[in-house]
Amino acid sequence: MSETEDLSADVPATPELLRVDGLTVGYGREPVVHDVGLTVSRGETVALIGESGSGKSTVARAVLRLLPRGAWAQGSVTLAGHDALGLSEAQFRRLRGRVVGFVPQDPASSLNPVRTIGAQADEAARLLDLPDRAARRARVLEVLARVGLDDPERVHASYPHQLSGGMLQRVLIALAVLPGPDLLVADEPTSALDVTVQQRILDLLAELQDSLGLGILLITHDLALAAERADRLAVLRDGRVQESGPSRQVLLEPASEYARTLGADVPSLHPDRFDALRARRSLAPGAAPQIELRGVDRTFRTGDTDVVAASGVSFAVARGTTHALVGESGSGKTTAVRILLGLETPDAGEVLVGGEALGRRSRAQVRALRRHLQLVYQNPFTSLDPTWSVERLVREPLDRFRVGTKAERAEAVARALDDVGLSRDLLGRRPVALSGGQRQRVAIARALVLRPDVIVLDEPTTALDVTVQAGIVRVLLELQARHGLTYLFVSHDLGLVRQVADTVSVLERGRVVEHGHVADVFTDPQHPYTRALLAAVPRAAQHPTTAQHPVPAQHPTLEPVP
Amino acid sequence: MSGRHGVFVARRVGQAALVVLLTYVFTFLVISVLPGDPVTSMLRDPENGFSDQDVQQIVAYYHLDQPVLVQLATSLGRFLTGDLGVSLRTQVPVTQLLGDALPSTLELTATALGVALLLAVVVAYGTQFLPPRLGQGIVRAVPSAALSVPSFVIGIVLVRTFGFQLGWFSITDPDSLTATLVAGVALGIPVSAQIAEVLVANLDHERTQDYVTLARSRGLTSRELFRRHLLKPSALPVLTVVAIAVGELLGGSLITESVFGRQGVGTLVETSVTGQDLPVLQAVVVLAAIVFVVVNLAADLLYPLLDARLRPSARSAAPVTAPARTLSDAVAGAA
Amino acid sequence: MTTTVLPEAHSPHDAPNVAPPGARRPARVRRVPVSLALSVAVVVLVVAWALLPDVFAHQDPVTGVPAQKFLPPGAAHWFGTDHLGRDVYSRIVHGTASSVLSALVAVGIGVVVGGVLGLVAGFVGGWVDAVVGRTVDVLLAVPGFLLAVVVVSALGFQTINAAVATGVSAVAVFARVMRAEVLKVRRATFVEASTLAGGSSLHVLVRHVLPNAYRSVLALSVLQLGVSILVIAGLAFLGYGDPPPASDWGLLVASGKNYPLAPWLVLAPAAVIVVVVLSVNRVSRRLRQA
Repeated sequence: MSETEDLSADVPATPELLRVDGLTVGYGREPVVHDVGLTVSRGETVALIGESGSGKSTVARAVLRLLPRGAWAQGSVTLAGHDALGLSEAQFRRLRGRVVGFVPQDPASSLNPVRTIGAQADEAARLLDLPDRAARRARVLEVLARVGLDDPERVHASYPHQLSGGMLQRVLIALAVLPGPDLLVADEPTSALDVTVQQRILDLLAELQDSLGLGILLITHDLALAAERADRLAVLRDGRVQESGPSRQVLLEPASEYARTLGADVPSLHPDRFDALRARRSLAPGAAPQIELRGVDRTFRTGDTDVVAASGVSFAVARGTTHALVGESGSGKTTAVRILLGLETPDAGEVLVGGEALGRRSRAQVRALRRHLQLVYQNPFTSLDPTWSVERLVREPLDRFRVGTKAERAEAVARALDDVGLSRDLLGRRPVALSGGQRQRVAIARALVLRPDVIVLDEPTTALDVTVQAGIVRVLLELQARHGLTYLFVSHDLGLVRQVADTVSVLERGRVVEHGHVADVFTDPQHPYTRALLAAVPRAAQHPTTAQHPVPAQHPTLEPVP
Repeated sequence: MSGRHGVFVARRVGQAALVVLLTYVFTFLVISVLPGDPVTSMLRDPENGFSDQDVQQIVAYYHLDQPVLVQLATSLGRFLTGDLGVSLRTQVPVTQLLGDALPSTLELTATALGVALLLAVVVAYGTQFLPPRLGQGIVRAVPSAALSVPSFVIGIVLVRTFGFQLGWFSITDPDSLTATLVAGVALGIPVSAQIAEVLVANLDHERTQDYVTLARSRGLTSRELFRRHLLKPSALPVLTVVAIAVGELLGGSLITESVFGRQGVGTLVETSVTGQDLPVLQAVVVLAAIVFVVVNLAADLLYPLLDARLRPSARSAAPVTAPARTLSDAVAGAA
Repeated sequence: MTTTVLPEAHSPHDAPNVAPPGARRPARVRRVPVSLALSVAVVVLVVAWALLPDVFAHQDPVTGVPAQKFLPPGAAHWFGTDHLGRDVYSRIVHGTASSVLSALVAVGIGVVVGGVLGLVAGFVGGWVDAVVGRTVDVLLAVPGFLLAVVVVSALGFQTINAAVATGVSAVAVFARVMRAEVLKVRRATFVEASTLAGGSSLHVLVRHVLPNAYRSVLALSVLQLGVSILVIAGLAFLGYGDPPPASDWGLLVASGKNYPLAPWLVLAPAAVIVVVVLSVNRVSRRLRQA
């Protein structure tokens, strides 16, 4: 291949844009991806699915030649007819942007914080043969409008921190399609976004694909989403492809054990999965609420603006049941929880625990209350002190509340570990030496060891893989059946809520917009916001037989970007 | 928005003025409260040749016969009107002594700062573009090695090499251009190493950021990445280090001036320390504090102009890493 | 089949998870780099010099043999002799205690005073934080070396006073780092989790905040040890430490500077300072990485 040849011009007639054969990638001596093969054709979306550590991002980066220093790749990657691994860096650079574009995972960190969007978009526009800066600017503005940004001029002049996550992801898509690539590699393009925003971004990608004839390699951990959006799937585990084929086939008739497990663990595909387990609870009908919030208001001042985090929030949770708080980021879920736990004082309203109003509580009373009200945080990577051992972490609440003798405490710690299904061999370990799922089990054991009445679960599985999540949910439901625990379950995942909760409150901008029994709210949502949330759950999950990626008409089809 | 910006500026200026005042009080207390009565013993020392009348005058002028707080109040009152007192040793007004010493020292520190910035940028560029196995390892070791060499050793080696052996500059005229340049190198090297360490750490950190990976996926070359993406975010926190370094340069001028035989603020301090000339000493400390505070104030006010994230109009929700305040903060943060 | 070792790339992150970097335990063999081993050896040797100088240097550091003055380095006198015929190696070894131990004193003052100030300011907050903050601002505003000179001139010219002065000038740095660490740890989720588990403020401070904050303060102390050795050497160089015949390293350089024809008088003590400070900084770097 000569240096002077224009690599971008001669895309071969075959529809196959990307062919990966026998790709093995390693860092240092250890290979982390083994013998992976896949193809992506023009106009096709292929999803590469896997949990954390499966090597899916490594495959994406090998294709894009963005592997970190010291990594090596073996095998063949053919990108629009070019041997991508065989080219020199200078030769491959001419394919970047023009032939293959990249849409990264985290929009907030993927743009240079000290340069304007316009300056960074100009870099992409330089790949086109445009006469001057003004022409490039015009093209950039055109494409920013094309991806559904209302005020392209303002976006062009903005710095990244001035835009929301959804807008930034649109900018990143615009930057990727601007030089007119044939293939887009999208690495978890929506994982950092709220569900309704996620939906709109995926719609945009699908629409651009249709009008531009793009091939898309979609990297994701979300089987339901992949099944809805992709034509074909490849399931990756420990760096090996377990199964690949048309989406519906992999979803509905998985051939490999792992694909089956993965499918079974996606909550939205199996709303009734834990019904038998939940039926083991003995619930007293008409029991008094164990916890209750009545008309709670809370407003935060940031600079000159007031942010209403809670406005007239009320809900009640009956003893031994699970109540879910559902909403997107900024909906006030966390504020409600913090007020309940006494970590935040409400401007108005009442908190009742066990039927008692706890209006003006003294310090000692708040402390006593906490014994019966425990919290499991979202991220077990930050909620456990890294310098403490598991044994000490689980024992801390007992020590602090001076429960029992030394021997009794040791016994209680061991029992709590049994309860959450952790081996006692882990007692001496520090959190770094544990997996995410093990850490979250430690956090649950810590909450459990005081034998509280209520456990607040703040997105307890969001940081975990779906198969790990299924294990944690099972443990939580077993504990509820055994100890009659009351759960307040905060989540943005409606599929999961449907599996575990009895009642639900939907929050939007600090207000409860809808509440009721889970079955009622899910089958017959009244409020438009609830409907939007439900609509954002991948459709393939709800009606697997009609799975097709839709092309919404919300953005009128414009001129295709050449 | 501009109103809020005005409040911000006013607050910072107020804080800066307060720090200068407090520094004056602090130095005064250190000098007068710490054990020993250097002033009286110095005045009573027959070798210094003060007559009884002289002593009485001095005692009366500084209220040395009254409680420390009265002395402080008098002294502070004079300071606020710009009167820094009179040298005990030479009976010359302190402002005049400082005025004579300052130009030479400013020339030296400015040269040193220029040298420091130049060397730091050269080293940082080397760490990014030299071949990893050959040059880079060496260049990366340079700053920490340079930080381990006492500045007086650098000075002596330079004087011997350039002054005696090569005869590049005249020992008799330490204020010549070459002499100033060589002295600036001696003073600038340690500071340069500090700046380079922070700059290199920042560059290494920025290189691993997602936005750099994405920019690469747009087909930018390494040099374009460096120029368009890495340099500015890496250099911004260095502004703080540079502002702090200005203070260190003033402190370091003490040794450098002594080694190179230059007359300046450093030598003024040296003679004042030996002669227990406390008003002069106090004035120099406060002067250094003023320079430090003004430079840092300028840096603080400059930041929002250079970094959009720090502008008052920026969305408060945006995660902003405040620029590192001290070298150790910056190093610790980058590590 | 093509094998490509891809040069120059940037992001080491693969896991698309919320786990912070380093969450997965790297299975690595602990191998001590040569430079670190050497540095530790140097530090150990220097401590030995400081504690037991007579074991390492048998020749008299104070009284010389006039006939043997200005001998260049050789087998009998490793680092040569000075203008009075004293063995330079012996003088360096006997000067270790005041050169290095006084740096320890300085760091000790910095850690204790600065650490407590930073801890209290960061943990209590409010007006305490404001008062400490202004105090630290003042200490930072005066160049460290100048501050040390002023303090030592008020206390009197002795090495121990130079150590105290150096310590005072280091207080601000320690206070700042400690405060920043405490604020960082205080905001950590696990600290709130401890409060929810019934932990009192004191419990949280002692059991959670300190153990998590101490590492960077420890690394800073070692780094500051190197800085203090340099500052104390500088003070001794200007004659603000113990007077001759004491043999502080900085003082040795200062007196050697008068004899340009006997360069070892400057280079030997200078080399010792450089090697020691380099080693100390290397150890500090390692502590910061861990």
